[in-house]
Amino acid sequence: MSGKFILKKQNKSIYLFRYKRFVTQRKGGEVLKNHDRILKKPWPYMVGGSILAILNIILFILTDKVWRVTSGVVHLGAYVLEKIGLRPSEWYYFSQNTGEGLGTGEMFIYNPYIIMNAAIIVGALLSTLWASEFKWKRIKSGKQFVFALLGGFLMGYATRLSFGCNIGGYFSAIPSFSLHGWVFALFMFVGAWVGSKILIKYLLT
Amino acid sequence: MAEVRLDCMYEACPIPLLKAHKKLQQMEIGDVLILETDHNCSIKNVVDWVKKQGHNVDYIELNEGEWEIYIEKAK
Repeated sequence: MSGKFILKKQNKSIYLFRYKRFVTQRKGGEVLKNHDRILKKPWPYMVGGSILAILNIILFILTDKVWRVTSGVVHLGAYVLEKIGLRPSEWYYFSQNTGEGLGTGEMFIYNPYIIMNAAIIVGALLSTLWASEFKWKRIKSGKQFVFALLGGFLMGYATRLSFGCNIGGYFSAIPSFSLHGWVFALFMFVGAWVGSKILIKYLLT
Repeated sequence: MAEVRLDCMYEACPIPLLKAHKKLQQMEIGDVLILETDHNCSIKNVVDWVKKQGHNVDYIELNEGEWEIYIEKAK
């Protein structure tokens, strides 16, 4: 019991110290090292957005394909289903001319976007390691788990109806002068509005 | 001058921001809100939003990938 009390007391003085430092830092300001500025501090949205746009253009020039994400996910999923004995290649969605079907001799697993998705995950891992911000996260509550699963299912299903997620259906669609990107953008705002209402009502307790 | 801690660990955008918004409404001018987070977007979007609202704000990284954002309600 006494140990617990001491710990609490120490914590209090730490907070006081931190708050004092917070006040003095606010007054004096602090010079950041370049290393910190590039690897640790969040980049301005303009910088990140411009780099993504340039990379997408380079990808299009080199491969004749634009950046997509969920295309790879759906093909990976179909590959797993095939492995457990189902025949997704005969499903209506894959057999119709949606751009997601297979040509002769093609397999679900040979989708370039699966490799891109893996590369995105590796890249994200590297950036968190460089910033020394890597951390295993856990599920906070049952409610968070259920809502995340439900949200993931809805997003995954909706990407198939709208020819992609916010990358394939929006980020890559608008620069390709495709109308569906603008329709996607409009309804993304509607969805975000509805989603935030649900979030405030049910998740913010 | 009260000091309020807000646990936003393991929460992703936009929950930390919405929680901070809700908490700040209940607080008095001069009170300090300490927001604990392990979501690196929060040190961008929460800090930007708080600055825009005109409050005083700063943050430090306590452990690898864990931050505390200090918000002093200014108005």
